[in-house]
Amino acid sequence: MLVTVIGVSFLTFCLTYLAPGDPALMLLEAGDTIVSQETIEKTRKEMGLDKPFLVQYGNWVAGAVQGDMGMSYSAKKPVTEKLAEGFAGTLLLAGVTVVLILLISIPLGIFSAVHQNKLADYLVRIFSFIGVSMPSFWIGLILLYIFGLKLGLFPIASASVTAKGIVLPAVTLAIYQSAKYTRQVRTVILEELHQDYVTGARARGLSEGTILWKHVLPNAVLPLITLLGMSVGWLLGGVAVIEMVFSWPGIGNMAVRAITMRDYPLIEGFVLWISIVYMLINFAVDISYSYLDPKLRKGVRA
Amino acid sequence: MRFFRVKKLFKAMAVGVCGILAAGIIAGCGSDSSSEGVNNGVLKVGVTNFADTLEPTQNFFGWVVMRYGLGECLTKFDAKMNIQPWLAESWSISDDHLTWTFKIREGVKFSNGNPLTAEGVKASIERAFAKNNRAATFFEYESITAEGQNLIIRTKKPLPNMPGYLADPLFIIVDTKAEAEGRDFSKEGPICTGPYMVKSFVKEKSVMERNPNYWDGEVPFETVEIPSIDDPNTRAMSLQSGEVDVAVNIAAGDIDLFKNNDRFDLDEISSLRVVVARINQKGLLGDAKVRAAFIQGCDRETYNNVLLKGTFLPGSAPIPPSLDYGFDQLKDPNSYNPDNAKKLLDEAGWKDTDGDGIRDKDGRPLRVEFIVYNGRAELPLYAEAVQADMKKIGIDVVIKNVDYNLLDQIGIKGEYDLLISNITTANTGDPEIFLNWYWRTNVNGDNPQNGSGYSNPELDAVFARLATEFDKEQRRQLIIQAQQIIMNDGAALFLGYPVTNIISSKALKGVHMFPSDYYWITHEIAPAK
Repeated sequence: MLVTVIGVSFLTFCLTYLAPGDPALMLLEAGDTIVSQETIEKTRKEMGLDKPFLVQYGNWVAGAVQGDMGMSYSAKKPVTEKLAEGFAGTLLLAGVTVVLILLISIPLGIFSAVHQNKLADYLVRIFSFIGVSMPSFWIGLILLYIFGLKLGLFPIASASVTAKGIVLPAVTLAIYQSAKYTRQVRTVILEELHQDYVTGARARGLSEGTILWKHVLPNAVLPLITLLGMSVGWLLGGVAVIEMVFSWPGIGNMAVRAITMRDYPLIEGFVLWISIVYMLINFAVDISYSYLDPKLRKGVRA
Repeated sequence: MRFFRVKKLFKAMAVGVCGILAAGIIAGCGSDSSSEGVNNGVLKVGVTNFADTLEPTQNFFGWVVMRYGLGECLTKFDAKMNIQPWLAESWSISDDHLTWTFKIREGVKFSNGNPLTAEGVKASIERAFAKNNRAATFFEYESITAEGQNLIIRTKKPLPNMPGYLADPLFIIVDTKAEAEGRDFSKEGPICTGPYMVKSFVKEKSVMERNPNYWDGEVPFETVEIPSIDDPNTRAMSLQSGEVDVAVNIAAGDIDLFKNNDRFDLDEISSLRVVVARINQKGLLGDAKVRAAFIQGCDRETYNNVLLKGTFLPGSAPIPPSLDYGFDQLKDPNSYNPDNAKKLLDEAGWKDTDGDGIRDKDGRPLRVEFIVYNGRAELPLYAEAVQADMKKIGIDVVIKNVDYNLLDQIGIKGEYDLLISNITTANTGDPEIFLNWYWRTNVNGDNPQNGSGYSNPELDAVFARLATEFDKEQRRQLIIQAQQIIMNDGAALFLGYPVTNIISSKALKGVHMFPSDYYWITHEIAPAK
């Protein structure tokens, strides 16, 4: 885990360092004004950008180990503070979205698998296909237009974390994600339904309901949890487009800006955050495996 | 009954989802449409905010401090970019042109009640110099002293535009005493003299409240809420729905919704920017006739009025019409004339001998490289339009897209035939720096931004006079003269000038867009009644 964190941070540092562009210049010329070379040099020196690459990375690591992620160049604020600002919004949005995804996609996926190749199945598949194909910012704007502007039910740009404000961004994300997830649920369930043990259970005269709930679902849960873990990781990284369309304060937009401004410390902090999130989620998924799958549990004991 | 339980579950889930939506809809019904807000002392302004804190000396955050009606400077720019008194009542310059005396307005108080003194102004300006390297790019001083209500600035060189420099938001006057007493400007917001003061601030949303000690008349609103709405479509929708009363910079595609509308007022003005393609004289475009032909072949009226839907004004001169530098009296020798362009190219010896539609001479095609970047949506559009027009007169334009970060070096090294940029011509009210930067002769790298090889002794002479001329009208004439020389030489292709706008509900009055883009929320914005 430590190796991964070091590797990721080093790679990010290399990439941002190699990318063309100079944070000092970006800062000074952000207002499209003209600045002299001396001023740029002076600013570079103050930011420590005149030092060799490895020294810069070394300084950053030395700070990060002690919990000091440095100061963001563009915000002139500690990176941890900057990340914390967007964190509440991102976490809440991710949480609500995941609940919506589960509520929509699991019933629809099972329903469509059980009714395979019937009208209902086709309908679900068509809708999920449309959902996956539509760009999410566009769905977002349409929802804003209908529910925000025409019906006036939800705020269009609350620009803060509010209960009313979360509905549209969460629904937009859920439409896109659950369209994807519904298809995955359907595939997994179908796969299980074609297993020998299902045929066996039917031969023993168990009802379809029992087969589905007692036998198929527990087996299908494992691959679905892995996929859900990926979605959660993606959501916790912040979804810049959605945050922008709905003026939702989150870390995605912040990350995009950090990259355009060549704000190295902030990019590093963000990447570190994402890698830790993914590792924790993978860890949680692994643990849930051994909890949910008796086979694995026994394997661990043996 | 095979799938009875599945169906039941499905139904339960469906009911659940409907329930959530219904709850949301009921909760949503309380949403307010707010021209009542305006009459209840609340103003809501939709903006895009780039500032992470309201510390005026950090990066360009001072712009936001000024736009939000918090901070004020000694001087300000009017609608024609002329310099007007603000916290300084008047000013004068000594006969040796090295000592400026600014008389600080009597009776002005900071929002915390502390009086504004020359001593305080001195401390505030010194603070800006200590905290931001950009301050020294405006001017360098030998000494600043306070005598009563007079602030005296001595400089090493004569600086004709000193009052203009002090209008930059970097020099917003803050109460350094409050800072010394422990207020953290970057966390709690600065103490300034503007009509409003900070109640709460995060990047996404700020709330301002009335400054009870404001010096320049009554402050109309108790509270000003300023959400940052970065997506232009969303910004337009929140204005339409009444969620905000004022919105800044509505996009081209949405602006028709608000034009000639009985609910909204639109104020548009060309900003201080120009979209210019610098022309390198070390390549094929070094031939004056080819250069003139190139510029004459570009139908700038169509680019700006049709392609960009009037969000840009057609370009011809270096300085946009929003500034009072003779835009209407300047003569463009290279206005759109494709037939003449073809004739000029023939005269210069470029003919299409191999029939491929591109002119050639001595076996070499007439091909030029046009460097653009994607950071601004209009730039690639301009480049493609120029490319299409040039094809008609037999010039092959190759468009090369680069990262914005590389632009500066490409310009300095002169590695282009044409190089586009969208640049501010006069953020201090005076375009001297901008004109010098691109077109004064570069002798052994003493003017690095002029990497084009352009040099005209006549123009250099005008610049030399400009550097020491203090008379306002004389300066204006010199700048007009300089522009005419640049245009006559075909030294650059001026494509257009961006138009900025501010749109407001008819429930308000006094909402204006200024060319300098520093003044959005002012004490003049009030309910129309």
